[in-house]
Amino acid sequence: MSNIQAQEANNNAAHPDKDKTVRLRVQTPRGLWSMTEPAEAPTRPLYKQSTKIEQVIEDAREVFRFVEQDSKYTLWRGDENLEPQRTIVSYKIEDDTLLVLSVQGGNA
Amino acid sequence: MSVPAEVSLQKIKAELPLALAYANSAGLVVDTTKLTSEDLRFFVAFKNSIGEESYVEFDCREYPMHPPTVEFVNKDRTERGLKQLYPRGFHETPCICMRYNRKAYGERGGPHKDWRLLDWQLPTANGVAIDTLTLMISDLNSKIRASTGRMA
Repeated sequence: MSNIQAQEANNNAAHPDKDKTVRLRVQTPRGLWSMTEPAEAPTRPLYKQSTKIEQVIEDAREVFRFVEQDSKYTLWRGDENLEPQRTIVSYKIEDDTLLVLSVQGGNA
Repeated sequence: MSVPAEVSLQKIKAELPLALAYANSAGLVVDTTKLTSEDLRFFVAFKNSIGEESYVEFDCREYPMHPPTVEFVNKDRTERGLKQLYPRGFHETPCICMRYNRKAYGERGGPHKDWRLLDWQLPTANGVAIDTLTLMISDLNSKIRASTGRMA
């Protein structure tokens, strides 16, 4: 069992609510992604607690068309950098928590 | 050719709501109290990975035809562009070496003689084009947060 699998197993045991859903808000440099904004968003930030952070980053990028692969995309809750391979439940993220998508351009 | 200050001010004001929303969400402090057509500057306070503050001045003269001059300053804004004001990890010139910084261009004494000011909104390599004030704040915040200590 890999470290990540072991961590997920621990999460499942420690977080029986992992299949519940959570509504997020994600502030990006191109706008806020929420259950109502932007109006034309193809998806909404409603996730199972077992969803990995990397999926949230990927979806936020898609909504605001951050397609460039050479940029660095990270998700933050306050001063906490959320690791892509961890799950939402492992951070005990609650409904309507505001997360921030940080976008770093390519280096010169 | 130059951009009238009123035009620059209107463009800045059009971008500020998103820039402020983003900065507030990221825990950054933006000071626009002195922003007028006579003084097209605003300031943002960032924190590095160990909580040290850095202060950045955005001088938006001729924006958006040209990028702002983006420079580290001290807290009371009496010093600017000194190595001790820069977080570690930036260009040793010292300079924020990005297309969105007028100081980075060879024609302004910066290291990039291969860039043209009019092309400032182009992406670098396959990265996101940093073509708005909010994206500039995001890019700087990402770099400063990853930094520890000062350049000098």
